[in-house]
Amino acid sequence: MYSFYFENFISFIFAGLLLLSALLTITSKSSVHSVLFLVLSFICSSIILFLIECEFVSFLFLIIYVGAIAIFFLFVVMMLDVKVSETPNDYIKFFVFGFIFMFFFVYLISSVSSDTFNINPYFDIKHYINVHLNHHSNWYYKIDYLSEVKSLGQVIYTFYVLQFLISGFILLLAVIGSTSLTTTGIYIGSKNQIPFKQISRNLKNAINIF
Amino acid sequence: MNNSLILLKNIGLISEMFFCMSLIYLILFGSVLSTHKKYPILQKIILNLSILILFLYILLNLNNNLSVTGNLLFNFTIIDDYLSFFSKIFITSFCLICLLVIKNYIKDQKLNQFEYSIIIMISILGFFLLCSSNDFITAYLAIELQSLAFYIMAAFKKDSFFSVEAGLKYFILGSFSSALLLFGFSLIYGLTGTLNLTDLKDLFFFLYPNANVTVETSVNTELLQVALFFLLTSLLFKLSVAPLHVWSPDVYENSPTSSTIFFAVISKLSLLVFTARIFQFSFHGLIYNWRYLLLLLAVLSVIIGSFTAISQKKLKSLLTYSSVSHIGYLLISFSSGTFEGIQNLLAYIFIYMLAGLCIWSIFLVLRLKTFYIKKKNKDLTDMSLLIKMNSGLALCFSIVLFSIAGFPPLVGFFTKMNIFLTSIESFMYFAAIVAILASVVSTFYYIRVIKILYFEEVIVGNLYYSLNYIEPFIVTSTFFCFMFFFIDPTYLYLISYKIGLLFYFF
Repeated sequence: MYSFYFENFISFIFAGLLLLSALLTITSKSSVHSVLFLVLSFICSSIILFLIECEFVSFLFLIIYVGAIAIFFLFVVMMLDVKVSETPNDYIKFFVFGFIFMFFFVYLISSVSSDTFNINPYFDIKHYINVHLNHHSNWYYKIDYLSEVKSLGQVIYTFYVLQFLISGFILLLAVIGSTSLTTTGIYIGSKNQIPFKQISRNLKNAINIF
Repeated sequence: MNNSLILLKNIGLISEMFFCMSLIYLILFGSVLSTHKKYPILQKIILNLSILILFLYILLNLNNNLSVTGNLLFNFTIIDDYLSFFSKIFITSFCLICLLVIKNYIKDQKLNQFEYSIIIMISILGFFLLCSSNDFITAYLAIELQSLAFYIMAAFKKDSFFSVEAGLKYFILGSFSSALLLFGFSLIYGLTGTLNLTDLKDLFFFLYPNANVTVETSVNTELLQVALFFLLTSLLFKLSVAPLHVWSPDVYENSPTSSTIFFAVISKLSLLVFTARIFQFSFHGLIYNWRYLLLLLAVLSVIIGSFTAISQKKLKSLLTYSSVSHIGYLLISFSSGTFEGIQNLLAYIFIYMLAGLCIWSIFLVLRLKTFYIKKKNKDLTDMSLLIKMNSGLALCFSIVLFSIAGFPPLVGFFTKMNIFLTSIESFMYFAAIVAILASVVSTFYYIRVIKILYFEEVIVGNLYYSLNYIEPFIVTSTFFCFMFFFIDPTYLYLISYKIGLLFYFF
């Protein structure tokens, strides 16, 4: 009774892409490239989460990791102006230790997960290969389907409307605070960018301590 | 589940709604006017407008008759009872006085951006929401609102290296303590399945102390005790109680004084109200699980606050350590777990806030005429011969210091004595004795300040700028409040008694 699920196929593709981008994050010589591969790995993992119907967590991944943290990393790396360093080619030295650690962790994770997830109550285990079982049919979904994000939104906009408004105020405060802390407060002249001034900044005159 | 957003029964929170609306209008007003060609300095206008908003907030709250009975609003997440009502009114009136006092300081220090007073107002909104929160999520959001505003206020004087350092330090340590708070909340949610304080009270009501031993053994309170310890640690971190106080002298000393007055004086009340709601209201049945840690930390903070303040040379750090020891006295009465504990807590915090307001406003008013203008942090010796400069101010200062030290014919004596009496009545003899001895030690440094004010043998004292009309008015009115509460402490005790009575019966 093996059936081909399209979601599984896509999730395999993205899992492979995730592994590839994680590998390239470590091995790429330019730090900007490695940060970009990190972003790609975050996007891949969020798509995998989306395919196994954890929409909210995948959106959180996109918003927080890709939208905030990875972009922050990218800015820092770009501002630091790190040159491409020629590292000596000694992968073989780390290869042995890496393999030992990898086997150790794979053994740990597989032993724990096989202990806890060995029985899927929805299916008979004999007919399926275990990997393909991430699509089980919950009959309540077929009758009255409500996605995770929609149900969360229904609670937030009714039950927790006050808390939602307070968090909006926190965001407003963050916007006001960051603008007021970063601007110098003297608006004489225009607020436009002056490219010459930006380019001619260097490490010595960038930070002023009074 | 009801689908309408804001119902008519939620009208108990209408004063906060007014506050939020007027804040947004203030932001619009400031941001529209600041893009004007002439670049006007809006700080004074916005500060005056925010004082007006606070005044209208007090009026709205006083005319709200719903508060006395106690309502649960917004799906039981907001409580609107007598405690929140009175703490809000206290906070608002103190904030109003603070905003009046810091007006000249801001002008002097050139904190010219209009966002400063808006950020102060947002932090005040955080106080209000924290005072009336009946839910862990609301309380966490309110604490975050308040403390985020505090981080920005500490770092607001951008051309001062110290201020930026204070902001960063406050930010890192405050977010650390917020993480501990969230961990405690999530543990409690995992164990009980509720975040509501009233539900928690109903859940642990049968665990009332010494009620029934056989029932008590059926509940596993060990993990709950861990969760309560996390909550206690992070709340006491924010209140700067003794082993967790290390951040506070740096932050209070380095940030601009107009922000420090908010950190040191006003932020304590709302946090204490929330602490009382958690520990006395909902987890009162588990009192034997939290009171020993609380009592230990309280006694430790009394001792450390009294002994460390002796060696301080700056007035700001002396006041910081004295606030550490005062929070210790408060928590001694709080950890008795009785009805008098709550009453004395409120009376003591009210007098503490009044005294703190008076002292910090004297600190703000005195602007040194020195050649090195950038030095704003006053040494204790800068105060010498204040009697020659401004004898009335020196008299106010010394009387308030006597009251804080707890000398008999002043109101500070009454509140301190009541705390010792409460701790003795609930059989905490050791804590009472240690606190009394530490308070004897702590009178030394208060008297040393008075000695510097009056009896220092120097010929040349410092010169100060002359005062405006509003600041001496505030200083003397708070001073007369001291006199009034000494002659007739009935109002203080009546209000705190009523709050304490209505606190448990909900």
